[in-house]
Amino acid sequence: MTGKADKQRDAEAEVQSFKEKLGPFVVAAETTRMAMVFSDAKQAGNPIIFANDSFLSLTGYSRQEVLGRSFNFLMAHGADTDALALIEAELSGHSDKGSEILYRRKDGSEFWAAIFVSPVRDENGNVVQYFASFVDLTKHKDEQAQSRMLIDELNHRVKNTLATVQSIVWQALRTTSDRDVIRNSIESRLFALSRAHDLLTRENWESASLFDMVNDALEPFGVSDGRAERIVIRGENVRFPPQAALSLGVAFNELATNAVKYGAFSNETGSILIEWKIDRTGDGDRLILHWQEKDGPPVTLPSRTGFGSQVIERGLAHELQGTVRLDYRSAGLVCTMDIPAPGTASNG
Amino acid sequence: MLILLMIEAMLADLGFESVTAAASVDQAVAVVQGQVFDAAILDVNLRGSNSRPVADALALRGVPFFFSTGNHGEHVMDGYDDRAVLRKPFKQDGLGAILTSLLR
Repeated sequence: MTGKADKQRDAEAEVQSFKEKLGPFVVAAETTRMAMVFSDAKQAGNPIIFANDSFLSLTGYSRQEVLGRSFNFLMAHGADTDALALIEAELSGHSDKGSEILYRRKDGSEFWAAIFVSPVRDENGNVVQYFASFVDLTKHKDEQAQSRMLIDELNHRVKNTLATVQSIVWQALRTTSDRDVIRNSIESRLFALSRAHDLLTRENWESASLFDMVNDALEPFGVSDGRAERIVIRGENVRFPPQAALSLGVAFNELATNAVKYGAFSNETGSILIEWKIDRTGDGDRLILHWQEKDGPPVTLPSRTGFGSQVIERGLAHELQGTVRLDYRSAGLVCTMDIPAPGTASNG
Repeated sequence: MLILLMIEAMLADLGFESVTAAASVDQAVAVVQGQVFDAAILDVNLRGSNSRPVADALALRGVPFFFSTGNHGEHVMDGYDDRAVLRKPFKQDGLGAILTSLLR
């Protein structure tokens, strides 16, 4: 038997006598869900002389594996001087708010814990033991990381929205100096973007249905003066992810704006049919959508590619990784989209 | 996608006529491998994925490039801390300045 084992037994005997004297308090320490240890301050390395059940389940060790081990044996990075300094400060009573230390369980997994240390003194004021409690910070750290991720994601989206607004303003200023035209152009596109955001927000930013997107985009142009019966929207239930939904909202706004200015909504008789289907015959499902105008005024080919048609034929095609074509047929404008069917189709 | 159209128009104003755009990491890598480019602007995040594979493809082929990002931090992508970064939203002058220094 070594001297150390004798000292260990003496220390454990002291704890045992505490138990006998202090009864209910000891039961509290043993059964509380707060992980706790007592260590022997009179021996080098602060060996643990008492560990409650919560401490054992937090760390994965058995009582025999813990008793007699140095206080710091749990540390994940035992040579970390910053962490050691924190523990020193705790032991010497120079820390009032606990310290965060990275610890390692028996199975090798790591966890952050806040450690609070109080000295236990004898009648002469000498420190004979240390009493330490541990608060598992795992959940807290996870929540912090989650918050940081959400904030980063939010920043990313806001910056993209600002850049999109910049594009809208920039474009409006390029083609004309007429202030009313500039204002209308900015307002129309900004509000289309805003409506698309609203639709996604209603769906918790998971996805949006194609039907809702078309409906929402046309709503400011159709309902107010009885145009509702001049719009027909037909197609199976298809859902798009957020970024695609925003782009489609902008594109449908361009089509609708064009229809009001020059196309099927610029006279009393024109109407628009928007229909789509999923073509499952090839390898990979394709979504084929037609925006078909008829009975509007005679269609003339535009002399140069306006921004609106660039948005539709290039911007949207790029975003959805498919092809989008504008056909200025004499019977009415036809826009055809041929894109990969989105994976979030509810009947996919 | 309006941002892309604006960038293309800015580039055209700066004299860059031939611009190819890619919306996803896979598409971008294919484009980089299929053609010779004078320069590239790489958004750090493409359709939710980190664009590191595109950076690697560009570096492999010796194409000068810089990053665009909405984030504010110093560190943009592991191993590419020496590349210029343009923060979104950005000014046309800033775009011009970075491209000029890249192609000097």
